[in-house]
Amino acid sequence: MESNPTHSRLTAIALTFMAVIWVSPFSWLILNAFNTASTGQLEIPRSVGLDNFAMAISGNAGRQFLNSMLIAAGTATLSVLVGISAAYPLSRLRIPGRNAFLWTLVLLRMLPSAGVLVPLYFAAQRGGLLNQLGVIIALTILNLPFTLLLLKNFFDTVPIELEEAAYVEGATLFQIVTRIVLPMSRAGIAVVWFFSFTGAWNEFLLPLIFARVQDAFPMSVGLYAAFGQQGAINYGFLTAYSIIYAAPAVGVYFLLRRNMNTGFAGVGVKG
Amino acid sequence: MKNQSNPWLTSNLFVLALGMLPAALLIGVLLYFTAWAFAFSFTDLALVGRKSVEWSWVGLQNFERLFTRKGFLDALWTTVIFVFFSAIVGQSVLGFLLAATLRGTRSGIRSVVEVCIMLGWLLPDIVAAFLWSATTSQTGLINALIVVPLGFPPINFINDYALPVVIVANVWKGTAWSYLLFSAALDSVSREVIEAAKVDGATPFQRIWLVMLPIIRPHIATNMLFITIWTFTYFPLIFAMTGGGPGRQTETLAVFLYNQSFARGNLGFGSAISVAMLAIVGVLSIFYLRLLREPK
Repeated sequence: MESNPTHSRLTAIALTFMAVIWVSPFSWLILNAFNTASTGQLEIPRSVGLDNFAMAISGNAGRQFLNSMLIAAGTATLSVLVGISAAYPLSRLRIPGRNAFLWTLVLLRMLPSAGVLVPLYFAAQRGGLLNQLGVIIALTILNLPFTLLLLKNFFDTVPIELEEAAYVEGATLFQIVTRIVLPMSRAGIAVVWFFSFTGAWNEFLLPLIFARVQDAFPMSVGLYAAFGQQGAINYGFLTAYSIIYAAPAVGVYFLLRRNMNTGFAGVGVKG
Repeated sequence: MKNQSNPWLTSNLFVLALGMLPAALLIGVLLYFTAWAFAFSFTDLALVGRKSVEWSWVGLQNFERLFTRKGFLDALWTTVIFVFFSAIVGQSVLGFLLAATLRGTRSGIRSVVEVCIMLGWLLPDIVAAFLWSATTSQTGLINALIVVPLGFPPINFINDYALPVVIVANVWKGTAWSYLLFSAALDSVSREVIEAAKVDGATPFQRIWLVMLPIIRPHIATNMLFITIWTFTYFPLIFAMTGGGPGRQTETLAVFLYNQSFARGNLGFGSAISVAMLAIVGVLSIFYLRLLREPK
């Protein structure tokens, strides 16, 4: 914003300083994760190695990684599939009051999820779904209002003339959807998938209540259980575990970064 | 009725309806459960024990308890402080300042700062809680780098200043969202308007306060709506860092709700808390949506 060179240099220094402060908490995480004799203190490791990471992907911890992966990918895929098949008709057919309805649902979901969790828990208990499948279905239900609204907004931007042209050429509904609508709203679908994936990957409360045995814990609950423990805490293991747990959420974002920003602008403007 | 004249849609209405069926079913389940959550708030249902089976209707007793017993009002006050300082003052103002400053800087610095802030946002809640517990502990980064070198004895931040610590942690975690939204908003402000203000001799502060802010007011309202509601019901970070303690210093409504419903098993009272939270969130949303609609 400033044309003045000293001014802009000061701004740059201030920004760099801020960035350093922002990432500084990570120093402890990284120093301990690579320290083979970690004590949980902030210190330069004497011996560097990957032992902690090896420990964090084997046994129970490795199992919890798979649980998290299954829950997150399952929820994201199920949400997107259910969302697409409903959002296309919602976008194209003139159903009276559909926008008001979707917004009401989204506002309803602002309700603290602990509230809906009580009846969800009872239903899952009765249906024998206090397991990963139950968590996937529950998270999909909780995600759906937002997924529907976003996907409908993205489908709205696909020009209907293209579909008309395809129809004239003899394309069926299925072909129109899979060859035109879906490829053209790829960015939007990626955003929705990403939101559901990270949402489910980070989800803590629902699996905390649904998962009864340590084998079924996803990483969020596993990490919480491990650092809440009294007694000797293995910091090396915990920090390595944290890094592995954080990696997919961060990684997926950077993979989809360009799409994300496009999609994000859409959310912001439509509000 | 323009859209419905499209033949590939009208001839396939059955298929389209079939496609909507799973979503309709799940939404129905969501509405049904929400209705139950409301209904539970008028009962003395418990998580375990006799009252988990033989519960009975108790009328408005749970709602009376919200105001007559200690807990709810204290938690509400803690939540207000938490939301005000971490979401409105912290995330929103900081996010806006960053967006406004980074707009004019070189793209190299811009992406470095962006990535740094994003890391906090992308980090899972529980990892962030773990990280901040360690950073603010007696041997943690803040003590090792600032407090001890200055000659003071190490401070146990998480015990002595629990609420400020969770507020800072939440600012650290959540600023990226406000930054991204404001950044997209400021991109929609045309350069000509800013240049014109510059030519007319507006100071940087005036340019922000009198030119940019009024233009992006709808975005500010949208952002406020989202982050207020999220922060209001935000649970994992505080729960994993402090569990609401020490004492009840950091017991926000979301933590209070969890403790009442699942730690103590008072599901009926817990449902009343979540209904009360929904009412508060609803009033806040209407307030912000008003702000959004008002003419500029």
